[in-house]
Amino acid sequence: MASTPHSDPTTPNFDIVAAYRTLLASDPEMTMPVAAIEALVEALTHSTANTTMETLELLECQTEILKASIPNPISLSAGTDLFQRYIITTLNQPSRTGVNILGPSGDFRAIRNHLLSNGRLFVERAKASREKIASFGRHFVRDGVTVLTNGGSRVVGALLHSAAESSFTRFRVIYVLPPPSSSDSKEGEKIVAGLRSRNIPVATIPDSAVGYCISKVDMVIVGAEGVVENGGIISRMGTYQLGLLAKSKGKPLYVVAESHKFVRLYPLDQFDLPIEQMVLEFKVTDDKQGSASEATEDEGVADMNGGVTSTKCSGVSAADAVDFTPPDLISGIITEAGVLTPSAVSEELIKIWF
Amino acid sequence: MSDTPNGGAVQAPALAATNESTNRTPQAPSRDQNVTAAIPEESSKLSPAELKKRAKAEKQARRAQAKSAGPSSNQEKAHPPKEGKQQKDQKAAKDPKQGAKDDKSKALPVRRRPSQPNPPAPKEIKKETKKEQKPATGIFFGHLYNQPRQHSVVGASKEVHPAVLALGLQYSSYIVCGSTARMVSMLLVFKAVIQSYQTPQGTSLARHLTSHHLSPQIDYLRSCRPLSISQGNAIRWLKDIIIKIDPSTPEFDAKRELLEEIDNFILHRITVADKLIADNAAEKIKPQDVILTYASSSIVEKTLLQAHEKGIPFSVIVVDSKPLFEGKRLAQTLAKHGIPVKYSLVSGIAHAVKDVSKVFLGAHAMLSNGRLYSRVGTALVSMLAFSRDIPVIVLCESVKFTERVALDSIVGNELAPAEEILSQTERAALLPLKAHIPCRPNADSKDGEEAEAGTGEVISWFKDVENLQMLQVLYDVTPAEYIKMVITEYGSLPPSSVPVVHRMSTNI
Amino acid sequence: MPQGAVAATPGLQSFIKSLKSTPVEPSIEHLISLLKRRQIRSSRPCAIATAALLLRVVGEVRGRDAGKLLRRIREVGKRLTAAQPREVVVGNIVRRVLGLVREVTEDNADTDTNANSEMSHSFHAQHDSLHRPQLSSSISTFSPLKNAVTEPLDTNLHQSDISESAEPAKRPSLQTSHTSYAQSTPMIGSLFGLFSHPDTPSTASTPTGFQSPAGKDSSITALNLDRLADLSTSKVDLKAEVLDGIRELQDELEQSDDLIAANALDHIHSNEIILTHTASTTVQKFLLAAARKRKFTVVHAEAYPNDHTATHATVLTGKKRYDENDDAEDQWKPLTAAGITVVLIPDSHVFAIMSRVNKVILATHTVLANGGLVAAAGAHMIAKAAKVHQTPVVVVSGVYKLSPVYPFDVDELIEYGDAGNIVPYEDGDFVDKVDVDNPLYDYVPADLVDLYITNLGGHAPSYLYRIVADHYRAEDITL
Repeated sequence: MASTPHSDPTTPNFDIVAAYRTLLASDPEMTMPVAAIEALVEALTHSTANTTMETLELLECQTEILKASIPNPISLSAGTDLFQRYIITTLNQPSRTGVNILGPSGDFRAIRNHLLSNGRLFVERAKASREKIASFGRHFVRDGVTVLTNGGSRVVGALLHSAAESSFTRFRVIYVLPPPSSSDSKEGEKIVAGLRSRNIPVATIPDSAVGYCISKVDMVIVGAEGVVENGGIISRMGTYQLGLLAKSKGKPLYVVAESHKFVRLYPLDQFDLPIEQMVLEFKVTDDKQGSASEATEDEGVADMNGGVTSTKCSGVSAADAVDFTPPDLISGIITEAGVLTPSAVSEELIKIWF
Repeated sequence: MSDTPNGGAVQAPALAATNESTNRTPQAPSRDQNVTAAIPEESSKLSPAELKKRAKAEKQARRAQAKSAGPSSNQEKAHPPKEGKQQKDQKAAKDPKQGAKDDKSKALPVRRRPSQPNPPAPKEIKKETKKEQKPATGIFFGHLYNQPRQHSVVGASKEVHPAVLALGLQYSSYIVCGSTARMVSMLLVFKAVIQSYQTPQGTSLARHLTSHHLSPQIDYLRSCRPLSISQGNAIRWLKDIIIKIDPSTPEFDAKRELLEEIDNFILHRITVADKLIADNAAEKIKPQDVILTYASSSIVEKTLLQAHEKGIPFSVIVVDSKPLFEGKRLAQTLAKHGIPVKYSLVSGIAHAVKDVSKVFLGAHAMLSNGRLYSRVGTALVSMLAFSRDIPVIVLCESVKFTERVALDSIVGNELAPAEEILSQTERAALLPLKAHIPCRPNADSKDGEEAEAGTGEVISWFKDVENLQMLQVLYDVTPAEYIKMVITEYGSLPPSSVPVVHRMSTNI
Repeated sequence: MPQGAVAATPGLQSFIKSLKSTPVEPSIEHLISLLKRRQIRSSRPCAIATAALLLRVVGEVRGRDAGKLLRRIREVGKRLTAAQPREVVVGNIVRRVLGLVREVTEDNADTDTNANSEMSHSFHAQHDSLHRPQLSSSISTFSPLKNAVTEPLDTNLHQSDISESAEPAKRPSLQTSHTSYAQSTPMIGSLFGLFSHPDTPSTASTPTGFQSPAGKDSSITALNLDRLADLSTSKVDLKAEVLDGIRELQDELEQSDDLIAANALDHIHSNEIILTHTASTTVQKFLLAAARKRKFTVVHAEAYPNDHTATHATVLTGKKRYDENDDAEDQWKPLTAAGITVVLIPDSHVFAIMSRVNKVILATHTVLANGGLVAAAGAHMIAKAAKVHQTPVVVVSGVYKLSPVYPFDVDELIEYGDAGNIVPYEDGDFVDKVDVDNPLYDYVPADLVDLYITNLGGHAPSYLYRIVADHYRAEDITL
C-alpha cells in the first residue's frame, strides 16, 4: 500500500498514507479530517514546492493518494477539501488588509510557514472544538430526559460526559452499541463505561431494538462522519433508520459535529455516496469463500483502526458502513459555533467554496 | 318531523318522519320545507302564517333572554316568555324526583350552561333577530342554521307528555347533557309515556303507539336539541320492538313487556356495557400513567375511578373548553376520590399533552368510517396526542355506533346558540370598551335608557356589527388514524372495525 | 387583562412619560419593577420601553470610551433581562444596541475619514458576514446611507458586497480569519476557524464562540482597544451616532407593522378564509391592509382564557386595548368595518373549521433562532391542525422579535398565567384540590410554520437563522 506515486516530483520519499495512519494511531483523540490535514501539512514539510501551483499540485496529488487508500474517505475528505480550499483562497487572496499579519504581500511563504509551524495547533484546536461542543451541547440534555445515541462518536461521548458532570441534571442514556465487528465498538464501550462510572444510568441496546425503545426517548443525539451540503449527515450505518424512527415519533434528532467535518458532497440518496459499500449483496449461493477471497485483493482499512491491518473486504465492510441521513430528519446540528439548522450548513459551505 | 304546519296532514307523514329521524343525523336534519315552523303542532287550528309568527315570537323571546331588549317590531304577538321560563323552572325542579322514581336512579351528569348561570329575566320587548339582520348567516354552517331551538314549553303540542316537556327543557339548557345521559333519560321518560298510554279503540298498540303517541314526544325533544346518535339508535330499537308486539297482546301485557324491554335495554346496552368497558379500560391504566381526558364522559369517569379503586397510582389531566366546562365537574369528582388531577383549558393542550401516557376519550358517536364524533376540541386533543405517539383510547358503548360516515366536522354538526360563546364574565370584561364601539346602527336610541343593561348590551354589540358572526358548534370529527383503540362492551377494536360491531349490535 | 385600560395603571405610557423627567438610574429601576410586576408586558411595549431607556442610558454615559459604553449597556441589559427573562425582546433590543455601538466603533476605526457612513458600512474584519448586524438592511429603508461600496480603500469591501447583495454567496471573509483579529472570530461562519492564526491570545485553547464564558469584555481585546484609542482621538461622536442608531431602531419598532402589512396583498387572495388567533396589532394591520383591496373572511379564534377580552375588543373595535392617552385612535377600525366578514370561534373549534381555512396567520411573542416561535397559548394546536390539513401557516413578526437565543429548553420560555383566569377563585374548593394549569404561551416548532413575514419581507423558517445572525453580534448573544 505504499505511496503508489503517480508522478510526484516534490515529495520523493514521503508516504502520506503511512503518515496519516501514524497520526491516527498516535492520538486516539484525533479525528480523520484533522489527521488528513496534519498529513498534508507533513507532506508540505517534506516537499520542495516553492510556488503556488506546485503546492496545489502536490496537495491534490497527495489527497488523491490518501483518498484512494482509505475505504471510506468521506470524513477524511472534509479535512483535505477544507485544507485545499484554504490554501487556494489564501494564496489567491490579494492581500489588502493593512492589518494582515502576513504583511502587505501576504505571500505564499508566510502562509506555508504559518501552517508548518502550527501543525500541532490544528489538532488542539479541533479537540478544543469538541470540548466546546460538549460544553455547549450539554444544554440540550435537560434534567430528567432520556437520550438515545448511537455508537462510537467521540463528540457525543464528550457531550454526554460534559452533561454528566453537572450535578443538576439527571438523565438516562440509551446507547445503541455498534456491532462488535465494527471498528468503533470499543469506543462505544468506553463511553458507556465512562458514563456509568459517573452514575448515569445507561442501557445498551442493539440496532434492532431502536424501534422498540424509541417511545421512551426524549431526544436523539448522534455523531457524524461528515455533514454534507444540504445539511444531511453521513454517519454510521443505522443512523438513517434512527432518524426515520425519531421523526416518525416526533423526537428531535440532534447531530453533534465539529465544523471541520462539513464536507462538500451532495448525496441524493443512500446510493449516491462516493464510496463502495458491501452492504447490499444479492447472492444465490451461501458462499462465504467468495467474499473472503474478494477481501484480500484490496487491503482496505477501516480508518479508525489506524495502522492495524484489516483484511475485511474491498470497499467498506458492512460493520463499518455508513448511511446518509437527509436534513429533514435533523432538528439541529451542534457545532462549536453554535446550533445550526441544517439549512445553515449549506451557507457555511457556500461561503468557503464560492 | 313537525314541520307540517297543517294539523290535518300530521298523521300520515308522522310515522315516516319519525322512522326517518332515527337513522338520520341528529344534528343536521335538513329541513327542506317549512323551515320556519319549529314548533310541534298543537296547531291544527292555526294557519301556517300564524304558526310562523308564533315560531318567530318564540325565537325572539328566547333571544331576549340572552340579550337586552331592543326596539320591538311586532309586540302584539309576543307570548310572555316569562311564563315559559317559570314553567321551565318548575319543571326542572320537579324532574329529579321523576328520574329517581322512574329507575334505579342513574345519576345523570348535570352540566350547566355557564353563560347563563342565572338567565336574566327576559324582557318583553323583542328585537329583530339576528337572522333577519344577517341573511348570510354562517359561512361554514349555513346549512345548519335552520334548526331553531326550543327553550320553553310554550307552543308545545298538547300531546307532549309533561315529563317529556321537562326533559326537553333540560336538554336545551344542557342540564341533561352527554349522549348516554340523554338517551337514558329519554328512555326513562318514554316509560312514563308508555305507562300513561291508552290504545284508542279500533287500533292496536303496535300500530298506534309509535306513530301517534311517541312521535310527538320525539319531535318535541328534537326541537329542544337535535337528537344524539344514541337517542336515534334507541328510538329505532324501541319502534322495532313496538312493531313486533303481537297485536293480539292485551294492552296491559304489552305495556309491561315494553317497560321491561326498556329496562333491559338500559341494563344491557348501558349499565352492563359500561361496566364491561370500564373493566376493560381500567386494565389499560398502568401505575404512574398520566391519563388525559377531554371534557367529560361518564364512562371515562367510571373507568378512572375503577382503576383508582384498584389501587393503581396514576394521575389525570382534564382538558376542558368553554363554554360548557364539562370537565370541571369531572376534575372535581376525581379529585374528591383522591386522584391527582390537573386541569387545563384547550388552549394549553400543547403543554398538557407533554407528560401524558394515555388519552381516554368519551364519544358522542363512533362513525362507520372509524371516525370519532365527540365534543368539539376532541380532534385537537387526539391530533396532538397522536403526534406525540400517545395512544388515544375511545370508550364507547356500541349503542353510540352509527352507520353514518363523515369526513369533516362541517357537513353534520350541531349548532349551539352563538351568544353562548360569551359568558357573563367575558361580557363584563368588555364593558369598558363601550366608548370605543364604533358604529352601532340602532344603538343610539337605546343607549340612554339601557345603559345599565350592562352585560346584556355587550352581546348586542356583537350582533349589531354587520359582518361579525359568532360561531359555536358542539362536535367535531376526529380522524380515525388518531385513534388507537376503541373499547366497547364487545371488547377492544381498532376504529376500522366500528362498522363490524355496529352491524353485530344492531342485528341482535 | 384589563391592564392599561385604567388610566392610573403604571405601564408603558407612564414609563415613557416619566423617563423624560427621571434620572437614569431610577428609570432603570422603574422599568425593572414594571417588568417584574408584568405591568409592561408583551413584546412591543417591552421593546419600546427598552429602546427608550437605552436611549437615555447612552445619552448619559460620559466620555468617548466605546468599551465603557458597551459595558454600561451590557450591565443595564443584564439587569433588565434578569428582571423578566421571558420577555426575550428586551434582550433583543439590548443586543441590537450593543451591536450598534460596535458597528459605529468599527466603522470609525476602519475608515475614520468617513464617520457618517456607519449605517451601510460593513465593519471590522473580525466579523464575517454571518455576524454582521445588518442594521442597514432593516433600517436602510429609511436611511439611504449606502456609500460604503464606493469607497475604494475599504478594507472590508468584500463584506460590504455581502451586505449589499444580501445573499451570502459572496466570497467569504477569508483574509479575516487569519488576521490578527482571529482571536475573537467566532467559528460560526468560518469553516477556516481551524487554521486561524495562532499568534493571538487564547486561540489555541478555545476558539471563542458565543457560548464561551468569554467574560464581559471579550470584545475589547487589545486590538480593539487600539482602535478605540484611535477612535477617541478622532473626531467622531460615538455617542451621537449610537443615539441616532437607537432612534432608527425606535423607528423600526414603530414602522415594522406597516412594513409587514405591505406584504399583505401578496399573501391574501380574494375570497380566502383566513384563520387567526388572539389579538395582535401586527396581524390586524396585516389583514386591514389586505382588506383595502380584497374581500375575504377572517375566522378569529378567541384565545380563551387569557386573551379573549383583547380578541373581542379587536373584533369589535379593531384595537386590542385602550390606554389612557391614545391619540391616534381614529385610525383603528375593526375588520368588519372594512367589509370583511369576521367569524369569532372558541379555540376548541379550530380543528373543525380548519378544513375550510385557506391560510392561518399567527402573531408571535418571540421568534427563536431555530425558526420556532413562542406565541399565545393555543398557537401550537392551531399550527398543528393547519399542518395536518395542509393549510399554510404564516407568522407575522417584526424583526425585533427575532431572538438569537437557541431554545434549549422551550419550557423555560413558557410563562404560566393566573389560574384564576381558568377557574375563578370563588371556586375555592376546586382550586384547592385540582392543579390548574394556565400556560400563556406555546412553543411552535419551526416545521409547523410555512412562512415568516417580517418587516424585511417573507422568509422560509429555514432561513431565519440568517436574519437572526444579521441582526446580532456573536459577542453579544450571551449578555
